Amino acid sequence: MEMSGNDWMTAKHSTGTTIMAVEFDGGVVIGADSRTSTGSYIASRLTDKLYQVTDKIYCCRSGSAADTQAIADIVRYSMNYHENQTGCEPLVAEAASEFRNYCYNYRSSLMAGIIVAGWDKENGGQVYSVPLGGMLIRQNCTIGGSGSAYVYGFVKEFYRERMAKDECVEFVKKTVLHAMYHDGSSGGVVRIAVITKDGVERNVYFAPPEPLPNVSPVVRMVSA
Amino acid sequence: MKIDIATEGPSNGFNFDNCARNAMLQKNGFVCPTAVKTGTTIVGIVFNDGVILGADTRATEGPIVASKNCEKIHYLAKNMYCCGAGTAADTEMTTSMISSQLELHRLNTGRVVPVETANTLLKQMLFRYQGYIGAALILGGVDSTGPHVYTIHPHGSTQISPYTTMGSGSLAAMSVFEARWKEGMSEEDGKKLVRDAIAAGIFNDLGSGSNVDLCVIRKNYTTEYLRGYEYANLKGVRELSYDFPKGTTAVLKTNVKRFEITETIRPIDSGSVPMETA
Amino acid sequence: MLSIEDFPEYQIPGAKQVRFNPYESNGGSVVAIAGDDYAIIAADTRLSSGYSIHTRHQDKSFKLSEKTVLASTGCWCDTLSLASLIKARMQMYEHLHNKKMSTTAVAQMLSILMYNRRFFPYYVSNVLAGIDENGEGVVYSYDPIGHCERKKYSAGGTAGPLLQPVLDSQVGLKNQVGVERSPIPMERAKAIIRDTLISAAERDIYTGDGVIFNIITKDGIKQERIDLRKD
Repeated sequence: MEMSGNDWMTAKHSTGTTIMAVEFDGGVVIGADSRTSTGSYIASRLTDKLYQVTDKIYCCRSGSAADTQAIADIVRYSMNYHENQTGCEPLVAEAASEFRNYCYNYRSSLMAGIIVAGWDKENGGQVYSVPLGGMLIRQNCTIGGSGSAYVYGFVKEFYRERMAKDECVEFVKKTVLHAMYHDGSSGGVVRIAVITKDGVERNVYFAPPEPLPNVSPVVRMVSA
Repeated sequence: MKIDIATEGPSNGFNFDNCARNAMLQKNGFVCPTAVKTGTTIVGIVFNDGVILGADTRATEGPIVASKNCEKIHYLAKNMYCCGAGTAADTEMTTSMISSQLELHRLNTGRVVPVETANTLLKQMLFRYQGYIGAALILGGVDSTGPHVYTIHPHGSTQISPYTTMGSGSLAAMSVFEARWKEGMSEEDGKKLVRDAIAAGIFNDLGSGSNVDLCVIRKNYTTEYLRGYEYANLKGVRELSYDFPKGTTAVLKTNVKRFEITETIRPIDSGSVPMETA
Repeated sequence: MLSIEDFPEYQIPGAKQVRFNPYESNGGSVVAIAGDDYAIIAADTRLSSGYSIHTRHQDKSFKLSEKTVLASTGCWCDTLSLASLIKARMQMYEHLHNKKMSTTAVAQMLSILMYNRRFFPYYVSNVLAGIDENGEGVVYSYDPIGHCERKKYSAGGTAGPLLQPVLDSQVGLKNQVGVERSPIPMERAKAIIRDTLISAAERDIYTGDGVIFNIITKDGIKQERIDLRKD
């Protein structure tokens, strides 16, 4: 007999996730929830899915925790090496391309959906998406992870070009909160980072308490 | 220079074809030899002056208790210990291999090895084996940057946290931590909390049982391995004696063979060859 | 009939087939010893599934009459449903024949009830103990589909394979020479049951928490309890 409900050994530890990144004039805003689940168990409620690759390049991890951590560690090492050798900060596109190379070449054995975002002096704030098969595409605004399916409509409706920094932060926060509400494998707090030429500013936002449901007046059936 | 076009996919890394083969054999009815699993409760917390690790002492083979008092807190270095859950052989061998790498690293650098180093070595090894090494670990230790507790999953993902639990009893133990863990606990309170978390696993999870082991690693690099910190369960005392009287076993056949032993004495000339004393 | 397994192209790697499984193993062990004029049947009190304990205080014995006790382990919902069926059929017997069912009759009926469900069995391990028409202690043991055997002692449940050899040695005195084969006194039978269950709780994760003894004599049935380890 299988030990029922006991998948802690076999189930892969994954970041059933909501992640997001938005470009604005002068930088990027990235955000993520903080839940890590193993099957139905919340293995961590304080995970940091915003991973620092270089001083001004971050990546948002979704998919298998092991796979994304392994790739991110390798890219961070490689970017650091590159920086030491050339004496200048790597471009966001270079980091994204490196992520793409690993994700594409090992696409059959990896479960990794990564958003690379950051600032460099060539192109300013940039967001790149590297989804499951290992594609690489630059976008003004992107969402990822299991929770993103619930908020495509919200993003389509409310994303505007040339939003100011604070508007972007508010937009990311709202989007991730909505995704966390509807997606069972996203939750915890919203972690947000703003990356500009001056560096990184990080914040944590708690989900607001559940509002009371609207109690509709009792409809009485009165027979005529 | 290597031209990175039209390559035939990855060639490096391990080959796991045999794992697929074994799964296929099993599906077709082959009965594999069973491995000892430590359906376990292991925990780790950060307290005011260091870290405390805890573990139960039961090892199981399916529904049978394979060991009633096994050690699940493994030595890594003087400033680091590691609790292991999952396949007993995997946790044991993984920790001992990493332990020797850490010792070599310490001798090469002449410094206290950071806990992060052990974490990186463990996660990189486990990731290479793609989860086929069934070791779920809690790594705890202190270094120049303070006390740390890491959780390491069999596939190679890790996370740092002030309190963590693993194994089949992790839910029971985590409920104790989520209710009572606080920042800056004293050693006494910390030990009590860890003891209670392990006891929750021992009593409420069938995969965990027997005794509580603790290990305290303090910021001043003193460690205390409290093997058998508490005997949560005492064995019931049996009433009867189960000794068999002599002659209970039937003698089916007797066959006596007589041996003629002849001895000759050959004196050894001790003066001719001097004894080697170098 | 062909099922989906016969069409390998329909098997998608990674896809998990979920089927309803009507059975569950809830663990537990039973030991019974019959003497010349008594029978003792005891079961542990832990009810569990997978790695979790449902309760530590489940009496797994059913008093069927003043002379008969059934103890069963396995799928607890099947046990309950089977026990109530037996009780109903025993009442029908009493109304029809105007007499109580004897232990041997209950034993035979239980076998038939179990075999009735030959192709969707009650997933239970039954041990029935009592006093027969001649006042002699008896134990009946069953398999899930109705095989029935009259014995003087038996063990069943998750620790059955651990307990039975001990009973064979200590009660059956198997493979021993020069030992006195006198009827086993009640106190010794009780002590053996107690000791074997204590040892079973050491090594079987589904056995523990406590034991409830049912001591059946011509004067009726008496219950006694002891504690076992709780991990």
